[in-house]
Amino acid sequence: MTATTINERPLALPDDPDALLIDVIRGAGLTGTKLVCGSGVCGACTVLLDGTPVVSCLLPARAAAGKSLTTIEGVGAAGLHPVQKAFMAHDALQCGFCTPGFVVEAAAFHDSWRATKGTATPSREEIAAALSGHLCRCGAYEGISRAVADACSGRFDGVDPIAPRLEARDKVTGLARFTVDIHHDGQLEGVILRSHVPHAEITGLDLAPARAMAGVAAVVPLLDDDNMVRFVGAPIAAVAAKDRGTALKAIAAITFKAEPLPAVIGLDAARRGDAPVVFEKKDRKRAGNVSEGAGGAPVSWKGNVRGPSAPFSQKAKQAKGWLDEARQQRNPLLVEETFRVSTQQHASLEPHAAVARFDGDQLTLHISTQAIHESMEKIAKRFGLPHNKVRVIADHVGGGFGSKGSVGLETIAAIELARAAKAPVRVVFDREEELSVTGYRPAAELKLSLLPSEDGRLKALSLTAHADTGAAVNSLIAGLARLIYPAEAKELVDFDVLSNLPPGAPFRGPGGPPMSFALEQAVDEAALRMKIDPIHLRKRWDPDPNRQRLYDWAAGLDVWKSRMPAASQNGRFRRGVGVATGYWLYLWQTGSSVELAVQGGRLVASCAVQDIGTGTRSVIANTVAKAFDLEPHDVDVRIGRSNLPPGPGSGGSRVTASVVPPTLLAIEKLKAEIKRTASRAPAPGSNAPWREMIAAAPDIAVSARRQEDGKPPPGARPALHEAGIMGRVFGWVLRLMNHMVVGAGVPSSVQVMEVEVDTWLGHVRVLNAYTGLAVGKLAAPTLARSQAAGAVIQGIGYALYETRETDPWSGHILSGSMDDYRIPGIADMPKLEVHFDEAGFEHVPGGSVGIGEVATVPTSPAIANAIRDALGMRLTEIPFRPDRLLAALKGRDAA
Amino acid sequence: MSVAAIATNPTAEFRAGGTDFSERRRSGVSQATPIDILESGDKTITWDADGAVQIGALTTIATIATDARTAAAYPGIAASAQGLATPQVRHVATLGGNLAQRSRCWYFRRADIDCLKKGGATCPARSGNHLYGVVFDLAECVAPHPSTMAAALLAYDARITTDRRRGLTIADLLGDGSIVRSDHALTEGEMIKSIALPAPLEGERASYKRAISRTYAEWPLVELCARVVIADGKFQLVRLAAGGVAPVPLRLTAVEAELSGKIANAPSIAEAAKLSGSGAKPLPMTVYKLDLLQGLVRDVLERLSS
Repeated sequence: MTATTINERPLALPDDPDALLIDVIRGAGLTGTKLVCGSGVCGACTVLLDGTPVVSCLLPARAAAGKSLTTIEGVGAAGLHPVQKAFMAHDALQCGFCTPGFVVEAAAFHDSWRATKGTATPSREEIAAALSGHLCRCGAYEGISRAVADACSGRFDGVDPIAPRLEARDKVTGLARFTVDIHHDGQLEGVILRSHVPHAEITGLDLAPARAMAGVAAVVPLLDDDNMVRFVGAPIAAVAAKDRGTALKAIAAITFKAEPLPAVIGLDAARRGDAPVVFEKKDRKRAGNVSEGAGGAPVSWKGNVRGPSAPFSQKAKQAKGWLDEARQQRNPLLVEETFRVSTQQHASLEPHAAVARFDGDQLTLHISTQAIHESMEKIAKRFGLPHNKVRVIADHVGGGFGSKGSVGLETIAAIELARAAKAPVRVVFDREEELSVTGYRPAAELKLSLLPSEDGRLKALSLTAHADTGAAVNSLIAGLARLIYPAEAKELVDFDVLSNLPPGAPFRGPGGPPMSFALEQAVDEAALRMKIDPIHLRKRWDPDPNRQRLYDWAAGLDVWKSRMPAASQNGRFRRGVGVATGYWLYLWQTGSSVELAVQGGRLVASCAVQDIGTGTRSVIANTVAKAFDLEPHDVDVRIGRSNLPPGPGSGGSRVTASVVPPTLLAIEKLKAEIKRTASRAPAPGSNAPWREMIAAAPDIAVSARRQEDGKPPPGARPALHEAGIMGRVFGWVLRLMNHMVVGAGVPSSVQVMEVEVDTWLGHVRVLNAYTGLAVGKLAAPTLARSQAAGAVIQGIGYALYETRETDPWSGHILSGSMDDYRIPGIADMPKLEVHFDEAGFEHVPGGSVGIGEVATVPTSPAIANAIRDALGMRLTEIPFRPDRLLAALKGRDAA
Repeated sequence: MSVAAIATNPTAEFRAGGTDFSERRRSGVSQATPIDILESGDKTITWDADGAVQIGALTTIATIATDARTAAAYPGIAASAQGLATPQVRHVATLGGNLAQRSRCWYFRRADIDCLKKGGATCPARSGNHLYGVVFDLAECVAPHPSTMAAALLAYDARITTDRRRGLTIADLLGDGSIVRSDHALTEGEMIKSIALPAPLEGERASYKRAISRTYAEWPLVELCARVVIADGKFQLVRLAAGGVAPVPLRLTAVEAELSGKIANAPSIAEAAKLSGSGAKPLPMTVYKLDLLQGLVRDVLERLSS
């Protein structure tokens, strides 16, 4: 055994040549260093080796022999490093999972910069190059860039930062504990055996060889009761063992026979008449769900194609007739195009993870989840336990984006294994699992026809979407086109195309970005043909009051007013400006409850809600603090525990609108209680009467449930009302089945993007992104901006880089590493301007609705329209990779 | 395990920085036992009196990228080193390791897919998804060679010394592109010890660029290292070595020949760049790489000529 020092303390290094540095570091309890990509591209595992940032997930432990190691826990151990302070002050973080790696690298950059350049300010480009080995899925790059610049310039020397995000200090110091960091005494490591073939019947499953191995504590089957696997990666069994290495050997020892069945991969192959069928009629209920809500009315199936589903069509026959007529008459205003969007992975940096522990019949679960309360209910039901015997904990969640909204296989496996092993079990997906079997936004083919009337109104729209849903159903893309741009007739048809691929899942505004990608390009095209300013046309066709104000804002932007026509450009680099609109539903969850208490002279707010990087803690703290004339840090916010008053899931952008209103009710109740129990009034003329009264108050607690909204202003109505009676039915079903209410007023976003296209290298760069948002009042303004900027950056990834690649024959996911699944880096971030229009939601107590989804909806079509403006040609398939750009420029079909 | 043991133990691999090996080990693609060579290896940069240099194989990429004298004498080498991987990888990855790393093909990198490089009978990428495959289809396997430094060294006529041989060219080291089982032509257990570069030519300039979809930190779709000597406004020497396009780095000899003696300006470069795909055999999904190659030739040579 050799030795090193870590954060100036001695550390013994194991002799095992396979031991990697990160495992030794985390094994020593220093869990701030995170394992994410395992391939050196994300930077989450960065530590300092003799002061130099290195990749600890690939570095052999023995390489550290005789050297000095510094981890995030050692950076600023003697007081926060200026970079840590700057990260806190600039809100340079969201979920916080990538933060330790960024901070370690940035601190090293800062120290060497200051040593040679004093307090000069590094440029955006210099900072981006220095941090080019780090990825943040939340998209906190803007804050990161500003934080590093300001720290280098000395602005945070000796300053005590004020952090707009309540838990920022824990995240910049590496102390925030995520599910992957949980360690109980005697904890075992669980690993899942998965199918290597896309379609087979599994027979003769023999778990005994694994059970017989030393160090293996439990082996459980995970096959569905039909013994079928329908995609590569489908679960077969799970093992819990003393460590991951032993568990991996054990799953390799499990024997079974996989009777191969014909398989079909992907949208095009699965639609063919002779395609093998993935789900026979009796098995259809086994398919997954790609939407947030429950399925609507029964839908017909033919082979692998489920549909048509067209509840939101409006005079569909009339639409068809007018479009046919326009086609025959070669009406030049008729816009017809087929668009394709690619599969987008959530790629959360914290993988799906669960730690299960039984103490007698009490089950304690740490889960990386977007829904602690609902998870508790579902797990209790599934395992036949009373609610009070299941405790779900999620203090910090390293991103979710929709993929962690339901009880996942990691949780089921951890519980089953913990029960069988009679010991705590942790199951953490590896990166390949994370990028293959945890869901995705399905790819889709979108056929669109749009017909303006002679007098310049929108007459007819037809949109047919075929979604590449894998082993899942319930895609809703085309139907969403009903809720914007009223027309005389609309034919909106959705199909799910199932194949032997892992099931899709909800992803940030499910169906919204694909719908918007097609519709917003068609509207843009119509404007070009009608020779009308695209913003002006949207203003004419879209009566929504929130968006009307945003159109005025967009039309006034200098970048919009000074656009150059495409025809004027013929050099290598060409610039363009594009606009697009997006909306999302305003949702809130019924029954959401908040408890507010005075405990020991401090205010405590409690709710069984989770913070996945979206800022829930700060939203609650700000709301309470403001009412009592306090600072947010004067309020203790307790969340992340299922035994607190029931809170909403973090999906559908519903958290803020679900928790702020009951918090306001609770505030009024608590104020009354404090006054009632006060032994004396505050000192006359006190400038902090509430602070004094709270300090003097006895322990009291009140709680409140989410109340109904007030009367909406004229013109504001629920988005679903655009869809007539079917929309109302859909709303009732959502409320009844999913406890979600679609409230009045439509959260909206109008985005203007300026791009530069390198016509030699097929490279698109977004230079400037202007985002106008109408999401009501901002409960936490700095965090709202972070959330909006992150949504735009994720939208840039969707438009330019991200695509899941599969083998067309075997269904193996090829883009299973962060090398091959490309999310935006800090240097890909444009200059961002975010404009919040805070009107429109005065009827919502507190006036705030969610941001996360609506802000990502229009990004990809705005970029597409900007490229059209730059090149004079329209690209119809995302991501706009170099191969596609070059093919279009050369007039070839892309591969 | 000793260094000598590798010849008798085919399940062993040399490990330098470990950035490639560790990933393959974690994913199960490699079952090999590591033989550590980092501590004992040559990490020195030694300059001859005539200006030539010898770089120890265990020198880190970051050292090569930031060493001022290397950057002054061999700007194409330094720029290539700066352009590859990520800062935290460059700090531990070595020059020898970069040359000897295994393929980045996404079929090869999945433990549960068989392929030629893993002893299989066919190349699944050829009939499957080869978006990042070769555009000079020279072998059964369609994976391009992953080493950025190999292309740069090819442009500089580097010579490699191993523990068994001296004076190997990049072509000697990596083969002619027909090898599929391995990513180099070294014999079993042979180890790269150092890399020698001839003294730079009077007045030569060099540059490097990779075409990728994002700004940084991506395996190149196509990359190009170029050296030129321009005198009296004319190209006296043009050396172009491209990566990402073939099973081994390729010299673009047709472009080099076309430009020799031509005026160093944008029109002549644009004309010659049309020859950059000479001899190419694109796969169905890799035609775009010819456009990228041509674009890179223009980009890099125009910058060097200005």
